[in-house]
Amino acid sequence: MPFDEEIQQLTVSVWDAILHLPIEPETGALPEGERTMSACVQITGAWRGAVALSCGADMAAEAAAVMFAITSGAPEKNDMQDAMGELVNMIGGNVKALLPETCQLSLPSVVEGSDYSMRVPGSRLVTRVPLRCGAHAVTVSLLESEEQAA
Amino acid sequence: MSVHQEKKKEIEPALIVPFVQSVRKVLATMAQMETTIGRPYGKQKGPSEHDCSGIIGFSGKVIGTVVVSFPLATASKLVAAFAGDEVDPQSSDFADAIGELTNMIAGAAKPQLGGDANITVPSVIMGRGHTVSRPSDIPCLVLPCSTVAGEFIVEIAIRTA
Repeated sequence: MPFDEEIQQLTVSVWDAILHLPIEPETGALPEGERTMSACVQITGAWRGAVALSCGADMAAEAAAVMFAITSGAPEKNDMQDAMGELVNMIGGNVKALLPETCQLSLPSVVEGSDYSMRVPGSRLVTRVPLRCGAHAVTVSLLESEEQAA
Repeated sequence: MSVHQEKKKEIEPALIVPFVQSVRKVLATMAQMETTIGRPYGKQKGPSEHDCSGIIGFSGKVIGTVVVSFPLATASKLVAAFAGDEVDPQSSDFADAIGELTNMIAGAAKPQLGGDANITVPSVIMGRGHTVSRPSDIPCLVLPCSTVAGEFIVEIAIRTA
């Protein structure tokens, strides 16, 4: 199940509904050497895997400012992390609706750094969807348990 | 000041003890190392920086995340003891070993958490100076752990659903 189109569409919907910002398909990569944030929710139950949302810290700050109506000053890191967690939670919830019953979603965890890699041992990448919101590169990845894929 | 002003609940002690026991048990069994666990403390400030972290989620009757974070030197020694040989930190085997260690700690604690708790597959983050956070309305308790391989921490941010 490729899921590319569905993930693209539901990310556009989440961005529009929550952030009121346009986001569109793009082939660009995340900025190297800059601070990036990755938020991840895991799926358990009838289907096991994970959904990850990654972008630069500037995109996370813009999302937090919109989501929490921060009009003066830069959003605090906590707000950026919560915004990323909320966005991946919504994307994950929409992905869950496409999966077999019954699945549960974990709470999101958010990673930040300038040079890190995220790996989900025992999983394979189903798809990675690159998008762009204004000047910001965004990627949404879906991983599936290898055990289940077999 | 953050826009989030919700009062955080204290983490339930009954959810902590299983992790104290599972950390000791897993390290003793898999790495033949005794673990000294210091006084747990509530995580009040922002996330601290790490080199290597294993993250596992809980869903079902218990929800939240548990994160095991190491300095690279400590992780390298633990993985070597765990695998029986040195493992290149850049290799996928290294991340797999950290993921398995995290999975075993969470898996050993799970039966004692009561009710139906599901654990997710672990995620592993490698990279100097990264931070890991979770929703700010979930209380987090930190278990400082010490072994002959070095120190590491277990961050427990779970609650009953």
